[in-house]
Amino acid sequence: MEILIIDDSKDSILLIETILKKGGYTGTQTAESALEAYKILGINASKNDIKQIDLILLDIVMPEIDGIEAIQKIKSDDFARDIPIIMITAQQDDQSLHRAFNCGAIDYIKKPVNKVELLARVRSVLRLKYETDRRMQLMRELEEANRQLKRLTVIDGLTGISNRRHFDEFLEIEWRRNLRYNKKISLILGDIDYFKFYNDTYGHQAGDNCLKKAASVIEKAAKRVGDLAARYGGEEFALILSDTDSAFAAEIAGEVNKSVASLRIPHSGSKTDDIVTMSLGAATTIPSNGKSPKELIEAADEALYRAKENGRNRVEVIELPRSE
Amino acid sequence: MGNSDTSDSDQIVIEADEDLEEIIPGYLLNRRKDIETILEALDKEDFEKIRIAGHSMKGSGAGYGFDAITEIGKSIEEGAINKNVDEIRRKTDELSVYLDKVRVVYAQE
Repeated sequence: MEILIIDDSKDSILLIETILKKGGYTGTQTAESALEAYKILGINASKNDIKQIDLILLDIVMPEIDGIEAIQKIKSDDFARDIPIIMITAQQDDQSLHRAFNCGAIDYIKKPVNKVELLARVRSVLRLKYETDRRMQLMRELEEANRQLKRLTVIDGLTGISNRRHFDEFLEIEWRRNLRYNKKISLILGDIDYFKFYNDTYGHQAGDNCLKKAASVIEKAAKRVGDLAARYGGEEFALILSDTDSAFAAEIAGEVNKSVASLRIPHSGSKTDDIVTMSLGAATTIPSNGKSPKELIEAADEALYRAKENGRNRVEVIELPRSE
Repeated sequence: MGNSDTSDSDQIVIEADEDLEEIIPGYLLNRRKDIETILEALDKEDFEKIRIAGHSMKGSGAGYGFDAITEIGKSIEEGAINKNVDEIRRKTDELSVYLDKVRVVYAQE
């Protein structure tokens, strides 16, 4: 617990410090001017190794920078703004009291400083701050938990790319968006060749690692906001490409195919090559009201099937005709 | 805090909070230094310095239990604002006499 006392009078600082110490508040810092206080609070300066301050006691009447100006400055600093400020003011100073409250002071004590009053106000403000901090902390934890939860519902646990559920939602959204703008949408489905044999040869642990590496290749291919890389099934991956024609989809599928091969993951169980390879099928269409994303998925699946039929480790492309 | 007893002409007894026992002697000593500061500033007609000294006394005196110091500080501050040399001298003398006479007894509050 640290209390910062800002007062231009050494005598006043010493008095307040002594009362606080006798009242059990031993952590105090003192500043004889606003500038000195800014340094302690890290205002206008580096925030490195500044001490956490829990409460500020601030004298209103000070030469050069007065208390009002100091409150405004403190309240405009992102780090210091949440520190509660109690003003210390002479009895007859109602005008500046009013201004100080407007600037965000939380309470005030009058001079001459009275022990009972000072300790009571400090205690209540610190209790309030403790409560507020605790609630803020709980809120932050709740928000973080919600974020995590949200992540878990859209992310594939093993590979870290989108899961099937997110794929379905995303495709639906992009389908409608491309429908609205009359743009082509492409979908690539890719399968690791002879993955079952890979698992049989190297074990499931190695299989999982292989899936992770393939996923990161797919993810790199999803470069724009309308693109999405997802794990579609066991060893099957999907890539949604908004506003993308057949030729460009074929190009991207080709790049993924090359990138997977260039990982040079040994695969002695493969009948295609001695490294891990991927077969890919790309399909393209212009969404229309008479069609659904399902047809695009089926076409991509058909293209993937052809790639496998034609010897795997290759790309096949299907462009759906425009229907009215 | 601040009960004063002036029936004995040589002593003014102030009852202060024992929590302040460590800092009160130093506080009173600093007021002696204030007197020197004020008199020197008066020679140089540095009224701003005097005003600050008076203002500071006004703000701190009663807090330490010395209402009289607050009152004297207030008068010195006003004297400095009005550049009233006589008033400043008179109040500085009054402070000097007060400091000679004051005796502090500490009590639990």
